[in-house]
Amino acid sequence: MNVAVMKTRAEVALTEGFAGVADALPGSDEVRQARTAAIGRFAAHGLPHRRIEEWKYTDLRGVMKDALPLAVGDQTKTTIADVIVAMGALGRIDAPRLVLVNGTYRRELSNLDGISGVVVTPLSAALQAGASASLSLDEEDRGSQALLALNAAYVTDGAVIDVAAGTKLAEPLLVVHVRAGGIAQRTVSRSQIRVGDGAQVTIVEMFVAVPGSIADGQTNAASEVVVGANAEVGHVKVAMDLGQVIHLANWLVELGTDSNYRAFQYTSGVGLARNQVRTTFKGENAKLDISGAFLARNSEHIDTTLFVDHATPGGESRELFKGVLDGEARGIFQGKVIVRRDAQKTDGKQMAQALMLSETAEFDSKPELEIYADDVVCGHGSTSAALDGELLFYLRARGIPLKEARALLIQSFIGEAIDKIDNVAVREALMSEAETWLAASI
Amino acid sequence: MLEIKNLHVKIADEDAEILKGIDLVVPRGEVHAIMGPNGSGKSTLAYVLAGREDYEVTDGDILWNGESILGMEPDERAAKGVFLAFQYPMEIPGVAGLTFLRTAANAVRKKRGHEELTTPAFMKLVKERAASLNIDVEMLKRPVNVGFSGGEKKRSEILQMAMLEPSLCVLDETDSGLDIDALRIVADGVNALRGPDRAMLVITHYQRLLNHIVPDKVHVLAYGKIRRSGGKELALELEKSGYAEFQKDAA
Repeated sequence: MNVAVMKTRAEVALTEGFAGVADALPGSDEVRQARTAAIGRFAAHGLPHRRIEEWKYTDLRGVMKDALPLAVGDQTKTTIADVIVAMGALGRIDAPRLVLVNGTYRRELSNLDGISGVVVTPLSAALQAGASASLSLDEEDRGSQALLALNAAYVTDGAVIDVAAGTKLAEPLLVVHVRAGGIAQRTVSRSQIRVGDGAQVTIVEMFVAVPGSIADGQTNAASEVVVGANAEVGHVKVAMDLGQVIHLANWLVELGTDSNYRAFQYTSGVGLARNQVRTTFKGENAKLDISGAFLARNSEHIDTTLFVDHATPGGESRELFKGVLDGEARGIFQGKVIVRRDAQKTDGKQMAQALMLSETAEFDSKPELEIYADDVVCGHGSTSAALDGELLFYLRARGIPLKEARALLIQSFIGEAIDKIDNVAVREALMSEAETWLAASI
Repeated sequence: MLEIKNLHVKIADEDAEILKGIDLVVPRGEVHAIMGPNGSGKSTLAYVLAGREDYEVTDGDILWNGESILGMEPDERAAKGVFLAFQYPMEIPGVAGLTFLRTAANAVRKKRGHEELTTPAFMKLVKERAASLNIDVEMLKRPVNVGFSGGEKKRSEILQMAMLEPSLCVLDETDSGLDIDALRIVADGVNALRGPDRAMLVITHYQRLLNHIVPDKVHVLAYGKIRRSGGKELALELEKSGYAEFQKDAA
């Protein structure tokens, strides 16, 4: 039976608004056709809603009442100083960066000099040159298909990063998405990261706001990552201090033979975030670590949804997500690990833990293991608890006052996840951000 | 001077009394041992001294230097000089040992009206004291007690004790889980802290520890009361006769 579903105001605006902005979007004719096709796909799906299993805890159709106007061709007078301030503790990291303000690449704010072996170009340039394949990302669930279709239709810019085989970069490469100005807008970006065989690189994608800019907005961001054989990649995503923003992010990652991919997602101070990651083991014996920390208070809502697809033998996957939830906040962790028939000797471990600082916070955790191979080691766990009274006593018996003891324990809880980040500067900056956030909850 | 007067304690939310009227005096400069069978209330006494919340004092008092500590929070007691070396030291993932030691040492120094230690001063002190306990400072860069062996955890307790410079040391089953070499290191660490201004209460099931930390007095705690007190030779006697006679007494 086909049920005709009424389109919401936001869905109508997202579908019908395309014609009005299509001319302003970057890309060749071919790209334009791909965008038009994408908006058709979105129209067929509509926004993700709670009746789609993968979206049962995050009813985007219900939450997103209106579509904000698309941000195109940023005109704000954002300065380098603004960008550095927006980056918080990460602003102290002296590293090459590509900066996008309200979804538009800003060359004068970026600094891409002197990196050898890596080519970084704005996606808008690639689209002008006709790279319509850049828009072909897709997901398996209907909800995320809809978001990726919206992303393909409306994307204004992003980073295309090509790391040549064998390149070893000591400093991280930053892709900074900055929100600035007083207009509530919708920003749509997409990045492509291709790491050649044997290369070693750390890439940090950041979503931040210039202090004083409007605390509202909508973000649809997608990243495609292809990790070559024997490559070692650190990939960090930071979304913080964004106010009431609805932040929708999709990562699609493919791992080559013997590669080592270490990802981390840090989310705090975001109205609603959906962080979805799909990783597929394409080659044998690859290693994956995807971990994260999420901090939420008031009525904030942070959803982490992972799909780990062990399609090849000998893969190792580790996931550790830790959340601190205060007020009426809601944390969601969905982690699906599929071990396909051929993926013998797979070793997978998953853990999701929430620390509840209030009686009214909520944590929903849904680990799923689907195993079709017979010689594997897989496990998962999930906990949610208040601060450990015995540990608090131990610290207080050492003379540490209650407030400080609580602070130390909460920091240690979240620190265990943040410690997964290999890059020292990034790790320390995020720990400092977490401490700042926590100071208001202790 | 530690004075425990007619101390009655039960677990909060339960009716059964664990300590049924303890009377005990430990003057400064002395080391007293408390021995007793399992379940006699030894660890309860240690926890109540340190101020753990799960217990309820229904009668009696605990005075340290003439001042009742029962109304004080655990961290206030620590500032007053009370230190409990835990039977099972806890692991604190994510908090580096050095951070923990420095936070604790400076918290009590501040409350005692001393200046906080600067980083170089703290490092110098911690290196000296760790070395005397055979603890590698590298180990203290790791999270507190995480992945430590039983012996390492106990040495880490004694290092904390040395850094906090308490005036009343309560050692709860510090010998449990230690081999003979580790026992000697821990005992040497404790003995180094003996002094005319410090009172110590050493709680143990076995006499073995008291060969290394020689007490001035030994008390037998069984069924919630001090059943007998004597000199250090009492420990040897107990080693031969066991605790059977006190079980009879209680019945």
